[in-house]
Amino acid sequence: MEIIHLEEVSKAFGKNKAVSDVSFSVEKGRIFGLLGPNGAGKTTTIRMINNILAPDTGSITINGQTASPATQKMIGYMPEERGLYKKMKVGEQLLYLTQLKGMETSAAKKAINFWLDRFGATDWKKKEVSELSKGMSQKIQFIATIAHDPDIYIFDEPFSGLDPINSETLKEVIIDLRSQGKTILFSTHRMEQVEQMCDDICLFNKGKTVLQGDLREVKSSFGKNTINLEFEGDGSFLDKLEGVRINNRSTNFAEIRVLNGQNMQEILHLAIDHAEIHKFERVQPSLNEIFISTVGEDNLKNEEVA
Amino acid sequence: MDFGKVFLVLKREYLTRVRTKSFILSTLLTPLAFIAMMAIVIYVSISDGEVTRTVAVIDQTEVLYNNLEELDPARYSDASSLPLDSVRAQVLAGDVDGYIILTEDNISYTEKPTLVYGGAGGISFIESVESDVRRVLREERLARSNVSTEVREIFETRYNIDSLKLTEEGEEEDNAIVGAVFGFILGLLIFIGVFGYGAVLMRSVIEEKTNRIVEVIASSVKPIELMTGKLLGICVLALTQFGIWIVSYIGLSLAAAPVATMFVDAQMSNIPPEAVEASASFDPSKLEAFIVDPTIFLFFFVFFIIGFLIYAGIFAAIGAAVDSEQDTQQFMMPVMIPIFIAYFLNLRVMENPDSTIAVVASMFPLTAPINMISRIAATDVPILQIITSLLLMSVTFVGLMWLAAKIYRVGILMYGKKPSYKELAKWIRQG
Repeated sequence: MEIIHLEEVSKAFGKNKAVSDVSFSVEKGRIFGLLGPNGAGKTTTIRMINNILAPDTGSITINGQTASPATQKMIGYMPEERGLYKKMKVGEQLLYLTQLKGMETSAAKKAINFWLDRFGATDWKKKEVSELSKGMSQKIQFIATIAHDPDIYIFDEPFSGLDPINSETLKEVIIDLRSQGKTILFSTHRMEQVEQMCDDICLFNKGKTVLQGDLREVKSSFGKNTINLEFEGDGSFLDKLEGVRINNRSTNFAEIRVLNGQNMQEILHLAIDHAEIHKFERVQPSLNEIFISTVGEDNLKNEEVA
Repeated sequence: MDFGKVFLVLKREYLTRVRTKSFILSTLLTPLAFIAMMAIVIYVSISDGEVTRTVAVIDQTEVLYNNLEELDPARYSDASSLPLDSVRAQVLAGDVDGYIILTEDNISYTEKPTLVYGGAGGISFIESVESDVRRVLREERLARSNVSTEVREIFETRYNIDSLKLTEEGEEEDNAIVGAVFGFILGLLIFIGVFGYGAVLMRSVIEEKTNRIVEVIASSVKPIELMTGKLLGICVLALTQFGIWIVSYIGLSLAAAPVATMFVDAQMSNIPPEAVEASASFDPSKLEAFIVDPTIFLFFFVFFIIGFLIYAGIFAAIGAAVDSEQDTQQFMMPVMIPIFIAYFLNLRVMENPDSTIAVVASMFPLTAPINMISRIAATDVPILQIITSLLLMSVTFVGLMWLAAKIYRVGILMYGKKPSYKELAKWIRQG
């Protein structure tokens, strides 16, 4: 069942077309990844789904309803730039934000207590946010996003600024939410998380969707055109290869994407001649590779500079 | 608009601010500071300035100096026996502030006396010397002309008038001066309230932007609901403060006269009858002048609320357009100009509440909140003028709010470069 549906959505700010003719659907009970370089239009799209911005043209429906204050209540949204009132007590703040999502006071208090307890944060209730550490306030932010028990969760770059432990916790919570039948949409440009978590992806570039669908299908459509090579010895032979792109290169590892249908056995022969091969594996391209080959290296380089 | 959400925003805005130390302190301390300020003003105007300016008198008539010394022994010193050069040296050295030579020609007024002074003291110094000298000259001349005591009394009487105001209920003591000063103070309060609480609102909007919480809020509430809630919350906050001040004022003004009478009566019974007359110069019933018709406060609240709403929208829009308080300055000018004009005009309104300029200022919607309340307190403003003023203000409020809401809507999600006026115009068209 389609729970979020975008149909030829466009949004411009002055002359700058932030999003043009974007269409995609998010299925209920799945984790949906929105990928793309910075400035590709992910945040604008997310804001439109949240009814913070209105599309210039096209339609957005949430659970069959056009995006509106009513659909906002179905969504828990955590923006990329997180924030809370610094001079407000944690408990009051969570109550306020949850009530704004339309929850009754008593139900809201119950939900807040439940989540504070689950995150081991009950003691912070009377504290002002300014007294909390960064990790603590991130947890409070997360509770503020989920306390009203929505069906849809939207996280804009949820892993940015998280330490590895909190990242792992967040990953577990997201997967846990899916097992409860909730729908999660998040944007990121960190591919390994997408590969580990997402059921479906949609790749954005320059305001347009350039690739979308079930993550496994997307990957298999690229075929097993990549070699994972583990070796010991001089790796300089890799520089002699032509018609390939090498990602993730280190002193004894390389991910080699073979372009133009070159014969992979030749690469193996060359490798054996120069180094001791520990592993030679033909695999589907990594998402990172798919991202690069779809968006184009130039874009990625620009992003890295920015 | 979802008024449930507006109310939630209003409640948060109000409750978090009403509990702050700065609000509690300003509510308590402002009246005290105000009373202290009034006391200082009264003290300064009663006492002859903080320094006594001295004048050396070279008296060639041998009668005038004694009279001057009687008037103000601290000011006048006899320099009749000193040579002029040494008196001049004293003035230059600052030992005395000036000298004056009095001659027979001055008494006959064939020649004006001249005060030569070192430049310090200003107009009030010259005026007080002038009035002293005038008085002794006149008295001496009258004495020499052998006029009757009756004529001398005529000259010594200071003629004042009492004023009474005729109303439907009969003649009433007219407190025109109290009314004018009171009106000015009410206008001042609106000025401070609109400006001060407008700035509070602006900072509150900036705070939500810099905290980045605004995007979370925007995913639950429409920008116009958020803005309305914040604006009303701060308006209620201001009304709370003014309400406390006004209720205490009414209480104090009602209690002042009876309490003072009680004290005076208690003292009278303890002191001998001959001293009673001396203390009778203080009449406790004069304090009743401070009791004002409470309907003026009703007008005060109406004009404050509409005045605040007119300006608050702009303050909110400015807050939304910038990222930090430092960036607000260029946008503050257009807000500050009308509000400061209203403040300065208020002095003129106080002096002459029925002049054309006062009438115009009390109708023009940007100055009306301040100037109309001063007029209402100081004079009888035709009801038609009050209604026109309120209507014009309401129309202005709606128009400005409409513009402000558009800027606010775009601005709260914009970060980075401070927008120009041209960009703001673009935001308005976008909205």
